[in-house]
This record gives sequence, structure tokens and C-alpha cells, in this order.
Amino acid sequence: MIEQKLTVGIADMKLLQGEGTLITYALGSCIGLCFHDPRLRLGALLHIMLPLNMEAGRTHPLKYADTGIKETLRQMEAKGASRSRITVKIAGGAKMFEVSGAGLGNIGQRNIESVHTVLKRENIHLLAENVGGTVARTLLFDVASGQGCIRSYGQKDIIF
Amino acid sequence: MIKNYNQLSSLEIDTLREIGSIGTGNAATALSQMMNQPVRITLPEVRIMEYNEAIEWIGGPEEVTAGVLVKMSGDIGGIMLSVQKLELVNVVLNAMLGESIDGYENLTELERSAMIEIGNIMISTFINALSGLADVNIKLTVPAFAVDMQGAILTVPMAEYGGMSDYLMAIGGNFVCDGKEVPCHLILSPDLRSLDFLLRKLGVSDD
Repeated sequence: MIEQKLTVGIADMKLLQGEGTLITYALGSCIGLCFHDPRLRLGALLHIMLPLNMEAGRTHPLKYADTGIKETLRQMEAKGASRSRITVKIAGGAKMFEVSGAGLGNIGQRNIESVHTVLKRENIHLLAENVGGTVARTLLFDVASGQGCIRSYGQKDIIF
Repeated sequence: MIKNYNQLSSLEIDTLREIGSIGTGNAATALSQMMNQPVRITLPEVRIMEYNEAIEWIGGPEEVTAGVLVKMSGDIGGIMLSVQKLELVNVVLNAMLGESIDGYENLTELERSAMIEIGNIMISTFINALSGLADVNIKLTVPAFAVDMQGAILTVPMAEYGGMSDYLMAIGGNFVCDGKEVPCHLILSPDLRSLDFLLRKLGVSDD
């Protein structure tokens, strides 16, 4: 049997149940969130880009931490997941460039803070994180075991 | 009403393409002076793409490249980014230092400076051309440099203006130098208000 492998784009989320890997590439200031309900062996990987949804039409809920997390929980619960069992691991939130003077807003840091706040508000247990720094991360998530793996340029893989 | 990238008219897109063409032409001239040998640019393409499409366009998320980024302020606010693949870096390093590199690991200080300079020259000549054409003042920050997965480098301008737009404007062409064609990728990301202002100054905004 070929193992299922699904790629999650930017401002995107995918669910997978049973066996298989969800993968999202090159997280810079973006954050990847691995949601897991171990009893159902149900996993979801969400790739958000910005901390808060302030769009008038809210046409892209998955682009933002707040609406992205809510939408992912909604879809997991629709498949029978229970909020008390769902755990989350996160990776990303790096600062890719150090711009002197009139710098860029540190979106990575704001993303991390927003994810923390929203998870707390939704009563979701944050199991592990690998965030911040200056290095991009590719995130792989095994939905059966709930194990995450982070791949970075010029560094050893991190299992978390 | 300020337009988003996907709402631009064909005249407006043609004008951006023209800016891309003149800007990269000037960048080729500057590169040629730096290397002291002829460099020309093939007809560049200007593309307006959704995030995930832009990452495919540049060659996939995980390939490691060097990125040079400056922030624009003044009449036009935004980000300009130069993404340098190894082929381009090596053509310049060969001409300037008589050497080439196999990868981005263990860069010497000199190689690093040369890469920043390539990006800096391309961006500043491009912006000079743009300022002249549109009669606007644009200030640039000192260039910032990163070597990492190009997907993560590209998301910097995306995230900075991601609350306003789902699109990215990219300019791609090939530099032809010493019989070799090497790719050149520039990302010009004005905030939407500045894009609107720019198109007005160029006299092509239709409202």
C-alpha cells in the first residue's frame, strides 16, 4: 500500500484520517499547526500567514490564525473529533530578514502570539512548539502517531 | 476605489510590464558595468500570481537561494526582493572574483558581500528607472540578506501585504552573459495604495 501524502499550501488546511503524512513546505514567518485527535487517528495541518483576520468579507479564513484555527476545529468536530482530546503542535514564526531602520513588522512573532492566544481561548492543549529564530522550516506530520518532523536548511531534522 | 492586483486593466498590466522591461534592462547594464563584460536581458515577463502559484513559478518552495530585500518608502511604500539562483551568482562571482561556488554553505565574507551587491544593484537600478518614469521619490533601506528555502523568502512580501492582497507581482527574465543564460527574478511589492498612486502618476489608471 502506498502511504498517503498530502501537501498543504499557504493559507490552506487539509485533514487526513488513519495512516499518512501531511506536509507543508518552507514556513518562514508563517506557522504550521498540527491538530491531532489520537483516538480517531485524525490529523489536520493548517498553514497560516497572518495573525488576525480583519478582512471585510472574510473570504480567506485559512490565511489567518484566528479564523484558521476555528475553521479547522469546526471541520475536525464535524468528523467526530472531541475538543478535549485534540492537541496541537506548532512550528514556524521565523524572521527571515533583518531590515535596519524602518523595518518590517515582526509578523512571525505576532503570528506566534496570536496562535497562543487563540488556542488558549478555544481550550486547545498546545503540546509542543518549535518557533521563532531566523530559519525556514518544512513541517511533516504523521497523522497516525501525531509525530511532527521539522526539516531546515543546513540543520538536522527535529522530531517533535 | 483602490484596486487589487486581480482587478487591473490590460493597459495597467501592460504598463507594469513596460516598467519591468525598462527596470531589468537598466539592471542588466549596471551588472555589465560591475562585471566589465556585456550583459543583456531577454524580454522579461511580468506576472501577477496567487501565493502558491508564485512559489511554483520560482521553482518550488524548498530550493535554497539567496534573497536580497529592501523596504521602499517615500512616494511609494513596499518591498522589493531579488531572488538569486546559484547560476546567476556564479556568473557574477566568476567575473569579479574568478571563482564559483557549489552551494550556499560556508560562504566567505567576500562572496556574501558580492551577493548582496548583486541584489542591491539590481534593485536600486530598477527603482531608479521606476522613479524616473513615474516622477516619484522612493527611498530604500540598506539591503537585508538571507540564504534559505526560497518559499520562505517569497512569503516575506506576501505576509507584509497579505492582509490586503492575495497576489504577488513578479518580474522574471534571463540575463545573457558570456554565452550563458541565467535566470533573474525580482519581486516588486508596493502596498496597494502605492500601486494605485503609481498607476495614476503613469497616467494609465482608468478612474
